[in-house]
Parts: sequence; structure tokens; C-alpha cells
Amino acid sequence: MAFVHAKDTFISLDANDLSSFTNTSELSRTADSHDVTTYGKDSHVFSGGLLNGNASMGGIYDSTTSGPRDVIEPLIGTVVELIRRPEGTGSGLPEDAVNVLVTNYTETNAVASMVQWRADLQLSDDVTSTDQT
Amino acid sequence: MDVADVMQEIADQLDTIDGLRPYGWAAESVTVPGAVVGYPEITFDATYGRGMDRWDLPVWAVVAKASNRGAREQMSKFASGGGISTFKQVLEAGSYTSLDVLRAATATPDQITIGTSDYLAYRFDLEIAGQGSA
Repeated sequence: MAFVHAKDTFISLDANDLSSFTNTSELSRTADSHDVTTYGKDSHVFSGGLLNGNASMGGIYDSTTSGPRDVIEPLIGTVVELIRRPEGTGSGLPEDAVNVLVTNYTETNAVASMVQWRADLQLSDDVTSTDQT
Repeated sequence: MDVADVMQEIADQLDTIDGLRPYGWAAESVTVPGAVVGYPEITFDATYGRGMDRWDLPVWAVVAKASNRGAREQMSKFASGGGISTFKQVLEAGSYTSLDVLRAATATPDQITIGTSDYLAYRFDLEIAGQGSA
């Protein structure tokens, strides 16, 4: 058993490394469920269907051209590649790559805080999960 | 962010206040009115990949002896919310290379002993954010 800290997470969107502006991210995968219960059963029976999922990322706003506003805002409504390495970058460590539709980009300005940002992503097509080489 | 660089840049910015003697280190002896930049409390890893660190850094404004009638007027110049000599305004107007963001968040009255005398002071708590590994 080995716990992993999230501080080394790598995340990129459309080949832009946004790790240093990000402090939270999620990748959620789901599947359709089909009720195939038939007569004679006492409990529901299900079969799996199409896969689905969504992702989100957020963090601290940065004003440079490599920051979240300049990178993500132009991508709203487009499908680009998301790469996420939950244990960081290194040989043998896991990586998920998937096309995503950028559905939302939000900036939040609370008076006593750093400017923060968040993006919501809809998974499109299969997730490719591999170990890094 | 580099601790020494940040402390010195803050002292340099305070040096623009007319009549103030700033110290970019924990000086044992202070000429008043003076400012002493303290060491930061550092929170690493505010973002992934050592992108950002956040610091809480104290700066003290030290004026006359607490019993001095003029101490209040002297300290008012530095501790008020606005004005050309106020720490809040001067520090937040600075253009820094060693850090990205500086905010004077709070100012708390304090007392500092220099030699055998107690001097009126204000402790300014600065919220600082900048590059983690750079």
C-alpha cells in the first residue's frame, strides 16, 4: 500500500501544460445502465451500456499567455485532448488521455482572495489509460 | 521565491517612504522610525508541480517610545489605510521581481523592546504569492 500526494499531478489541455496554475482536478467515468430484468427474478438485473464521463479542473488565475484564461477561454465549445497524470510524471506512472468538449470556463474574484478559475469538460470518445514510458 | 530576495525587495520598497529606515533582516538595533521585515511562514504547493507557494510575511513599523506623545501621530502616517507613507499603499504599489502578488492583509498594534525601552509598533501581515520552484 502506498499513498500518493496530489501535489505532483500533471494536467494538460490541448497540449498546454496547466499544472502550475491548477490545484484541483477530477476525472469521472460512468456507464449507461440498462435494466434487463425478466420474469422470475426477485431483483433487478442490469447490463452496461455506453461509457461516458466528465472532468473538471481549477486553480489560481495567471495573467500570462500560458495561463488558464488565454489557454482555455478560446477552447470553449471545442473538442481537445486532456492528459492527466494523477501520480505525476515518471516512467511506469499512470496516465489518462481523452478528448474532451470544453463546456464551461469560470473565473471567480472574491475580494480577499486570489483570482480563481475553473473549467468543466465533457468526455468525448474513449479514455486511453496507460503507464508512462 | 527566494526568502532573502523577497525580504530585501520589500525593504527596498519601504525605503521609498520619506524618513523611514527599513531593515531587510531581523535587526537587533533599529533607528526609529524604522521598519523591520520578518521571516515568512511558507505554505508550499498551492498549485501542482511546484507552480505556486504562498507566504505570510510580517513587517513591523517601529516609531517612538510607547509613552511618547508623538508616537500616535508618527504611527498614523504608516498604519492608516491610505496616504503616501502608509505601508498598505506603498507596499501594494510596488513593482516586484521576486514575487507575483503582495497584499497587506492586516495591521495589529504591537510593542517592541529596543535596549531597555518599549517602542510602539504595528505588525503588518503580508499575504504573498509567487513561483514555487523558481
